Amino acid sequence: MSSVKVEAYARALFEIAQAEGTLDRVEDELFRVARAFESNEQLRATLTDNTIPTERRQLVAEQLLGGKASDTTTQLVSLVVNSGQVRELPAIIDSLVKRASSEKQQEVAEIRSAIALSADQQTRLAAALAKVTGKPVNLKVVVDPSVLGGLVAVVGDEVIDDTVRTRLDQLKTRI
Amino acid sequence: MIQYVNALLASEDPTVTHHWLLPETAEIIYGGLASVIVVGALIKFAGPAIKKSFSARTEKIQKELDDAAAAKVNADSDAKNIRAALGDIAGERSRMLAEADAQAAAVLTEGRTRIIAEVAELEAKAETDLSAARGRSSDELRAEISMLAALATPVVVEATLTDQTKNDLIEAFITSVGAAR
Repeated sequence: MSSVKVEAYARALFEIAQAEGTLDRVEDELFRVARAFESNEQLRATLTDNTIPTERRQLVAEQLLGGKASDTTTQLVSLVVNSGQVRELPAIIDSLVKRASSEKQQEVAEIRSAIALSADQQTRLAAALAKVTGKPVNLKVVVDPSVLGGLVAVVGDEVIDDTVRTRLDQLKTRI
Repeated sequence: MIQYVNALLASEDPTVTHHWLLPETAEIIYGGLASVIVVGALIKFAGPAIKKSFSARTEKIQKELDDAAAAKVNADSDAKNIRAALGDIAGERSRMLAEADAQAAAVLTEGRTRIIAEVAELEAKAETDLSAARGRSSDELRAEISMLAALATPVVVEATLTDQTKNDLIEAFITSVGAAR
């Protein structure tokens, strides 16, 4: 899929969420959906399997998100599945998040942590990253047990990695 | 003469001798004549043959004597040669023995030197092999320990990472990022 199409879909989803007035929440939920889609091979295989009827794949997505995400988020994901562009879901969502952040004059900061961050921690982390990048950040936290401990923050091209996983990898290399 | 002989014979009795030992005179005369004739005939006819025979025998004996003398000279020469050869052989034998001794000594010296060098080389090689084996064992042990450490460390770290520790790490991250720049 071309970047033009990805941008077109991202813009469409963005406008829908904005029109619904739930952009912040939808954007956050979609970001989590995108990361889940990337990390869960079974989910990815199911949603991209063309031998499964589109309606059934939409039903799977709706059942997975039902009760956990807003209706708008569920419908937008279902929309992408129906359009046959589900393989590009992460790219579309990332573009949407970037667009939403730009709208708010913010930089997207993707944070990976082994455990969920408290609201206070997120606030302080956002402030610390804003201080580093020089602009407000739109914090997107992904709970990723593979990092074991610590955090890795990706802000634009900058990566701040202080995870136990990375330290263990470094130690392994030294050994 | 004949008549005188006949008259002489007729005057004597043939059955009676005039001396018990000596023959009758006539016998002596006839015998003497006969003997002279025979001897003369022998000298005339058999003498040259006998003389020739003696000469031939003398020559043969002389020749045999000469041959014997020549043989003796040859034998003496051969004996001299043999003695000389014996001397040469003894000298050659001594020379060969000396040469063999020298060669044996050289071979012995060379062999000893070579063996010493080979033993030294073998000792050096054994020492090198031992060092290499020690190094290899050490490297293998180090690699084994490294591998086990690499495998064990994540397990140990994961097992000891409590939620509190993870939370502390997050706090440390926020603090360090906030403190930067």
